[in-house]
Amino acid sequence: MIPHPEGGAFAHPVTTGIILATLAVLAVSGLAILWLSRSGRAKPEFRRELWLRWASWCVLLPLMLGPVLIGRAATIAAVTILSLACYREYARATGLFRERLLSAVVVLGILAVNFAALDHWYGFFVALWPLTACLLGVCTIPLDRPAGYIQRTALAILAFMLFGAGLAHLGYMANDPGYRPLVLLLLTAVALNDVAAFTCGKLIGGPKLLPATSPNKTISGSLGAVLVTTTLVALVGAAIFRGTPLANPVWLVAMGALVSVAGQAGDLLLSSIKRDLGIKDMGTVLPGHGGVLDRFNSLLLVAPAVFHLVQYFVGFGTTAPIRTITG
Amino acid sequence: MDWNLRPARDLGLPPAERLRSLGREPGLVGLAVNAAWRRAVRGYLRAAHGFRVEGAENLPREGPFVMVANHASHLDALALLAALRGPAARRAHALAAGELFFGNTARAALSAYAINALPVWRGRSRRGELDTMRARLAEDALAYILFPEGTRSRSGAMAPFQPGLGMLVAGTGIPVVPCWLEGARDAWPAEARLPRPGRPLALSIGPPLRFPEARNDRAGWQSVSAAAEAAVRGLAPQPAPPDQP
Repeated sequence: MIPHPEGGAFAHPVTTGIILATLAVLAVSGLAILWLSRSGRAKPEFRRELWLRWASWCVLLPLMLGPVLIGRAATIAAVTILSLACYREYARATGLFRERLLSAVVVLGILAVNFAALDHWYGFFVALWPLTACLLGVCTIPLDRPAGYIQRTALAILAFMLFGAGLAHLGYMANDPGYRPLVLLLLTAVALNDVAAFTCGKLIGGPKLLPATSPNKTISGSLGAVLVTTTLVALVGAAIFRGTPLANPVWLVAMGALVSVAGQAGDLLLSSIKRDLGIKDMGTVLPGHGGVLDRFNSLLLVAPAVFHLVQYFVGFGTTAPIRTITG
Repeated sequence: MDWNLRPARDLGLPPAERLRSLGREPGLVGLAVNAAWRRAVRGYLRAAHGFRVEGAENLPREGPFVMVANHASHLDALALLAALRGPAARRAHALAAGELFFGNTARAALSAYAINALPVWRGRSRRGELDTMRARLAEDALAYILFPEGTRSRSGAMAPFQPGLGMLVAGTGIPVVPCWLEGARDAWPAEARLPRPGRPLALSIGPPLRFPEARNDRAGWQSVSAAAEAAVRGLAPQPAPPDQP
């Protein structure tokens, strides 16, 4: 169980710290864009793009952080909505949406795995991954349409792994009474990871990381992000996991590196999908960002990776009531 | 093995534009809304207008095909849609006047999600748009519901068919299914805001026509439209012969 002081949503100093830091970053970046606009240094098009991005963040951040502050059920509900939104974009981009039976099973799987998280039923939660994969494997056989079987089944299983089973780990974390600082840390650390990679890449430059997959990413940016994110996550993690077996410098650094590497891997995973399809963005929902997936790609792999690291050392919700709905 | 990733035709369009796009492809939500709407309309037509369908066996089970009918009422597209079942019903698009059905976003959302309509703009539908509709009809195995008169008849008499139908099917083996709707004008006249329950409504479906030999040019389109018009007129109920003394 994650240590947590008694009290409301802001009882843990890390929670308060992350919220204040986020508000500060938003305010400072807004002022910086304002200054850039006033000074006339940036082209009008670039200014518009910056404002659009900033305004998107102003809408997005309360939607991301708000449910975590409100409570367990709100967090799991928000993760469910995020999963469905991600799946929708993926299905439309890959063409999987035309397979309505498979699509319906993926959606049911997403709802079921998030229900298992809400129920706090770990056995069902982990069982749903192989069970849903099996169901996806067999459900289109009765259609007697073997042409395209491998493609549609593979697309559906990848979708359930990434947006169903994978993302649901983020919601499951809320079963621990001390989940708030950890979930907030993950949400903000993956965003910081992206910003750090972008900034280090621009400042240092140098050879490209994987030019065919993502032409703008550099090796220096990637390593810089690992350095920055690892440091931050390890330091904040030390405050969150004080007194637990995870509060050991080696494991804290490992956790930080995991967040950064899994975050970048998720980003590159989505880039690979987009390159393969020949599209730039997965959607148009978030002005200045693209689709929901373009924003949350880094979270896809971080959620299960960090979940199982913490589960191994500390455990989630070990003293919280289990199977609260199914009894 | 067949690896063929085909993104949605309307991928990357902002929501409002997507509603009006000829490439709009419904997902699970769209299919569910449309199916619920279709069932509700079918139930209403049966209960309030005693809706009957004759010649349903003439309808192909799957697309591509084009249903054409006389046009006197907003009930027409709803009735033709209600007559479809299975895969054809899921892929049925009514071609509707853009100005009327897609004028504002709320109306466009209803037209797109419930009726699954595609907009045709009077006088400004470009050749490219017709080509898109022609290509999608075959590639996506769609079923189009089309009223080739171009507008609702105010008198009840059927107007000559426009050549647009020919542009969609000339030179292909895609079936054109002629239909005649009887009673729609009384059940929901063009000048009334709402339908009038209690007036009967009947649909006759004739055997499909095919135009593989028709040339894809103006003369060819007109020959297709004329043949379809004759087939639709042939389904109209004949006036009762005068009583023999």
